[in-house]
Amino acid sequence: MGNLTHVTINFKTSHLIFPTIIACVLGVLLVAIVIRDRKRIAASGAYWRDTWGAMDKPRFLGALALTLVYFSLMVPVGNIWPNTGLGFLLCSIPYVLATGILFMHERTPRAILPLLIVALVGPTFVWWLFTYPLFLTLP
Amino acid sequence: MFEIITPLFLSLIVGGTLVGIIFGAIPGMTATMAVAVCLPLTYSLGLDNGLALLLGLYVGGISGGLVPAILLGIPGTPSSITTTFDGYPMAKRGEGEKALKIGVVASLAGGLISLLVLDLFAPTLADFAIEFSYVEKFLIIFFALTVMAALSSDMLLGVFSGVLGIFVSLIGVYDISKGGNGEMRLVPPGLGYWLENGFSLLPVLIGLFGLAAILEQAEIGVPKGHSTKDIKVGAHSRFSFNVFRGQSFNLLRSGLIGTFVGILPGVGGSAASIISYTNAKTFSKTPERFGKGEPAGIMASEAGNNGLTGGALVPLLSLGIPGDSTTALLIGAFTLQGIQVGPLFIGNNPGTWDAMIIAMLIANIAMFVLMYFAIRYFALVVTIPKHILFPVILMMCVIGAYTINYGIMFDVWTLLIFGILGWLFTKIRLEVAPFIIGFILGPSAEVYFVKSLESFGTWTIFFTKSWIAIVLWVLIVGSIAGSILMARQKRRMEDHG
Repeated sequence: MGNLTHVTINFKTSHLIFPTIIACVLGVLLVAIVIRDRKRIAASGAYWRDTWGAMDKPRFLGALALTLVYFSLMVPVGNIWPNTGLGFLLCSIPYVLATGILFMHERTPRAILPLLIVALVGPTFVWWLFTYPLFLTLP
Repeated sequence: MFEIITPLFLSLIVGGTLVGIIFGAIPGMTATMAVAVCLPLTYSLGLDNGLALLLGLYVGGISGGLVPAILLGIPGTPSSITTTFDGYPMAKRGEGEKALKIGVVASLAGGLISLLVLDLFAPTLADFAIEFSYVEKFLIIFFALTVMAALSSDMLLGVFSGVLGIFVSLIGVYDISKGGNGEMRLVPPGLGYWLENGFSLLPVLIGLFGLAAILEQAEIGVPKGHSTKDIKVGAHSRFSFNVFRGQSFNLLRSGLIGTFVGILPGVGGSAASIISYTNAKTFSKTPERFGKGEPAGIMASEAGNNGLTGGALVPLLSLGIPGDSTTALLIGAFTLQGIQVGPLFIGNNPGTWDAMIIAMLIANIAMFVLMYFAIRYFALVVTIPKHILFPVILMMCVIGAYTINYGIMFDVWTLLIFGILGWLFTKIRLEVAPFIIGFILGPSAEVYFVKSLESFGTWTIFFTKSWIAIVLWVLIVGSIAGSILMARQKRRMEDHG
């Protein structure tokens, strides 16, 4: 009985013990979920079609696309003026403005004006705050 | 003790509470999001001042949810869902201001009750937990995960979410400083440079609670803000403290329920307010009035959800286990300052412990003063257009993720990855809170588990180490059995319509 419960840990491979156990538990849980929810999983095509149909695609996909572009441009733009945080500032202003216009319902000049002010003041204030008082370099 | 209270400390608490109320008052934004967005600001504030800001945000964020719940019938935060049941009917009959003030006073009562429990209970629990070996520490984490999963809306998916969180937390090197062998695991080829230390906690949290929430709103078209015409504060609704006559027990019970729910890991404020509300209705002499504008319903709901605030800090500060998703974020603040929370925290950092208690007390008082006297102005917060707020919040999320490790762009991509994952979780019914708690506790669980086996060389040690281990196993089995019984009862009730 003692041999059955005895465990020797090999230090060299000790990094794999817990992940292996957790992966096995995850696998068992996944199988249990698949068995229990098999009908729902089989009908998931309709669920995703409904989700896609009900989604506000321009706003959702537009927000994702703008965020991707924002993240991708920040470092290359920042590298033009290294260690100044201008990559963040110059990318954040159009990003805040564009995302705000995307989320807006009535796009009139009167509605865009406050957004424009926030898009200019917000990133500039944050850039100043992190660059000077907090001494944290932005991209 | 009182030397902690500096003008900066006070203004951070009051400012944090104010911002928290604003976040809580805007539907779609939560206390967790407020803490996630403001976390990087604590960087240069030091631990005590940083915690003052975050605790103010926490208390304010939980309390602010009552504003739209009462005035619009839309819970500002999940924890104020039951406030809508009686608050909105009161607002519709012109008693909006009265309902808001009842909610504010009940929030204060719940917050103070939970603070008292925190002050009395956390040090005792921590003193007890100091004696724990690796075995008991592992079992405590196991127990926390089973409780959290058992109380999920779907136990199987809750357990899966928690275990998935542990799995993701194991990506990277098995940390030498914690007794590991320094070997890498679970890292996809080519990502070794970026994932050597796994995913950073804070970008993960900010992604799951900040970006994911905005993606959810974008998916439904970023609902239009409310106009001032929608807000019915009520011009002639007089508030009097007499409304609380005979409600002391309701407040005390609800505050204690909220505190207890807060102590349970990952359960959340909505459970606290629902259980408090249900109890108030059950024990009321006039249960038929509940749901039609009964002040006792608002009191129960708000005392319950604010009771959560102190309760959720008990397991965090005594055992290192976060009580809810917002306190999970507070771990980030401790990490930023290089301090580990756990049984030794209170004993080793008495100054920070005092600062937290004082900050919670002042935050509750500030919340009461701000909301009681300026409730009509806070009511206007719900009209702030989301198309202005959300882009700024997205920008703050980026700042938070980028600055957390002194400027690593991969952390910003982590934010995006987990933002999308968080949105996907809601679609496939996985639960974020168990995932996060699994993610936070995973590395510790690994160390305690492997070290237990290394030290004792037998699997049976988890059952035979001490009487505490046996008690923990009884609690683990009890929580699982209880959740199975509850699930069966729920299914039976659904079958019977």
